[in-house]
Amino acid sequence: MTLRRDQERLAHLAMNRFGLGAKPGGIARIRDNPKAALKRELEKTGIADITNSTLPSYVQACQVVHTDFNAEHKLKEKELTARFNQHLKPEIGFVERLVLFFSNHFSMSILKDGAIRATIGQLERDVIRKNVLGSFNRMLLGVMKHPAMIRYLDNEDSIGPNSTSGINWGVGLNHNLAREILELHTLGVGGGYTEDDIDGLAKIITGWSFVRGWEAAGKYNGGNERNRGQFIYRKDWHEPGAQRVLGKLYGGSGVAQGESVLSDLARHPSTAQFIAFKLVHHFITDDPTPAMVEPLADAFKSSHGDLKAVAEALIDLPEAWTLPMTKIRTPYELQIAQFRALGRIYEADERWPFYSSLNTLRNIPWERVTPDGYPDETQYWEGPDAMRIRMETAPINSYSLLFKGPFKTAPAVLAGQLFASAISKASLQAIANATEQYVGIATLFMIPEFQRR
Amino acid sequence: MSSFDHSHELPALDPRVAGAAAEGCRESRLLLSRRSMLGITASLFSSAFLPDFAKADTDPQARFFIVMLRGGMDGIGMVIPKLDPHYEEMRRELALPDSATLSLGSDFALHPALSTVHSMFGASDAVVIPAAGLPLRNRSHFECQDNLENGLPVNLPNATGWLNRLFGALPAGDPVRKRFGLEIGEAPMILRGPEPVLGWSPTWYTKSNPDVLARLEPAYKSLAPELWDSLQRGLAADALATASGAGTSNEISVLRKGFIGAARLLRASTGPRIAALTVDGWDTHADQGGAAGQFRDRLAELDVALNDIKAELGPVWSKTVVCCVTEFGRTVRTNGDSGTDHGVGTAALLVGGALKGGIVGDWPGIAENQLYEGTALTPTVDLRAVFKGVLRDHIGVPLDILNTKVFPESAAVKPLGKLVDSPVTTTARVAASSSPLTNEEVAPILRYRKRYGS
Repeated sequence: MTLRRDQERLAHLAMNRFGLGAKPGGIARIRDNPKAALKRELEKTGIADITNSTLPSYVQACQVVHTDFNAEHKLKEKELTARFNQHLKPEIGFVERLVLFFSNHFSMSILKDGAIRATIGQLERDVIRKNVLGSFNRMLLGVMKHPAMIRYLDNEDSIGPNSTSGINWGVGLNHNLAREILELHTLGVGGGYTEDDIDGLAKIITGWSFVRGWEAAGKYNGGNERNRGQFIYRKDWHEPGAQRVLGKLYGGSGVAQGESVLSDLARHPSTAQFIAFKLVHHFITDDPTPAMVEPLADAFKSSHGDLKAVAEALIDLPEAWTLPMTKIRTPYELQIAQFRALGRIYEADERWPFYSSLNTLRNIPWERVTPDGYPDETQYWEGPDAMRIRMETAPINSYSLLFKGPFKTAPAVLAGQLFASAISKASLQAIANATEQYVGIATLFMIPEFQRR
Repeated sequence: MSSFDHSHELPALDPRVAGAAAEGCRESRLLLSRRSMLGITASLFSSAFLPDFAKADTDPQARFFIVMLRGGMDGIGMVIPKLDPHYEEMRRELALPDSATLSLGSDFALHPALSTVHSMFGASDAVVIPAAGLPLRNRSHFECQDNLENGLPVNLPNATGWLNRLFGALPAGDPVRKRFGLEIGEAPMILRGPEPVLGWSPTWYTKSNPDVLARLEPAYKSLAPELWDSLQRGLAADALATASGAGTSNEISVLRKGFIGAARLLRASTGPRIAALTVDGWDTHADQGGAAGQFRDRLAELDVALNDIKAELGPVWSKTVVCCVTEFGRTVRTNGDSGTDHGVGTAALLVGGALKGGIVGDWPGIAENQLYEGTALTPTVDLRAVFKGVLRDHIGVPLDILNTKVFPESAAVKPLGKLVDSPVTTTARVAASSSPLTNEEVAPILRYRKRYGS
């Protein structure tokens, strides 16, 4: 019995520290070897892919850019539905957590522009998901050559001062994207770059732009209706000549010049350390130590940025299985854990309980205003005001999810299916004592075992 | 001191924030928000000036609210230059006849929706600055909002907010600093940075069910006492902010609930002293309206909300300054859609019992040749001069801290004097060492690298 309790504790840890929360019966299904179950998820072919033929391709999503707000908005909601449904599929959801992690690593806000609103879901499917167990280099290149990121960090009008257009129009550089690539996406703060490196990189990616609505409609700057919204390289805007970044002189021309810098940044030791630190910070503890960070950084370096190798190193960290679960689900993750517990989601036209609670808790997907992404510091999510709002919104969520029809299982029985022996008597008692079903489910959503991860 | 202030029994403190709590106070601890851990860590490392102030826990009386009107508020619509000969010709259908406005004397008048503000002006509790502006004048919402909130002469990427830097620049034991800043509903850039920030959000939700709470208590106390403590503090703060009365009714907008709650939290003797609020909806490109319409409705709600602050503060109103500011004004000429487009100079409105009252700053005129870039009101007062005047004379922040830490490189921008009735002395404070200008300087990866190497 003791052995089974220990195994179920580890299974609970796998489900919550690494995953999106158990589905009914999940603990029992993976308790024999939780670590192996996690690794199996990484081996499963196509685990990260959303296969839904009604979702748009890159070209199709770009066709919607700057057409009309409602079209952009409807597409974004449809992408969110697909994301919800994908979150429900895997037994544990470790790969889904990695998708969310890297989506947040390259955080953008749809509030800034319709180009982002229309294409962010497609970017997540075709760039983040396609590479989440593959090459960090390919993910980085894919994001930086995507209209959503070009627009979000203002590179579409960055023009080399010595380029043809720069000389003719007297316009210049925008450093935003170059700065954030170094500060947030690759080396990280303190990773050994200078303002000169930012300037060099900014010059190298001049001309990396996208076709705005007015350019497509008016056939300006190489735009037309066929390439509406898409990435475009504008040769006349590109700063000519070789540029220096991190001590290396990059010659070459065109997009290839930028691609070779990004590839070097993607395999830089500081990038390896930064990604490793962020993963440990996100999944395990607010206080990562070199003993936890270095094995991941080493895996990153020796595999040339293979993210599957890094994910395996995370599973293999002894601390991942011994440190107490002191982190708390983000409000978004909490909503998803609720979906998985009940096997229900909010469809596009019934999402007000989702948006309403995430709005007050400041965690709406794809709406982090600043490019640093939603924070991983636990304290950010468990302050007094946040805990009060979690308590107020849990019944709204349970009521709304049950509104589709009563749930066949009693709340206390469901708790047993979700936690097996990894639930305290006190928590079980709190759920069992509820008289109404929706109150029992709301209590289940609020027990510490459901909140912590 | 009213008995109200001491009537709330609060739970014991989360041990993990004990460091901050040692220098904190009760209502402030209730609200310690999402970013506090990062801030506490940073501030504990820099608390070099603690000892002299930690022991003398005075109760700072001055209250300061900053209300940011988002979207670019039309200053000429709010503060009407009735004696300017070009007013009617420029404003056309948006112009109000003198008889429809609320007079501020011979030169200016208020929009008729601001009846409470008008009576405050009559009681010398309002200061009207008709033509204020920012260092940045490029008419972009995002960049000008950033500039308003980062307090810098030129925008920096990833900048911290000037209100956060104010807390960071005060000595560690300072009674204003240790009560922290309060943000309502949103997390505006003005409070962004390493210093701990308190948060409270007005909501329309049904309050937490006491029965559910009681059933959860044993589980939380044994498994997650720190979460339980946090929750209790959140519930207590919310109870204080929404205690019986106007703030609880669902007839009242979330905007007004925010103002009422902020006032209640700042009224409490051990509560925070400085709050930041935001009000959306001022980007009136079309159908702005004159005596009626959308602009009038926004002003009317602001007027009611400012009255709410006064009513809730009670006797503390006399210790209060509220600054209503916006990122830019609007074009002086009415556009083809009966609206106004992005401009530059605009009105700033200060209310509060601590003010001297009156109209402050020169009027630049709105003749063709007097306009900024031919279209906008030319600012005559730098908003940083307004903030510096209030912070120096009302809160008692020394000028050298204001010139270097809060509003860097602003020594040439002299604080506006004579805004408040009884300026406080400022000699007792010495700037603390750290007040980073960008959040880059406090990124988690940087802390790791400083500790363990890269």
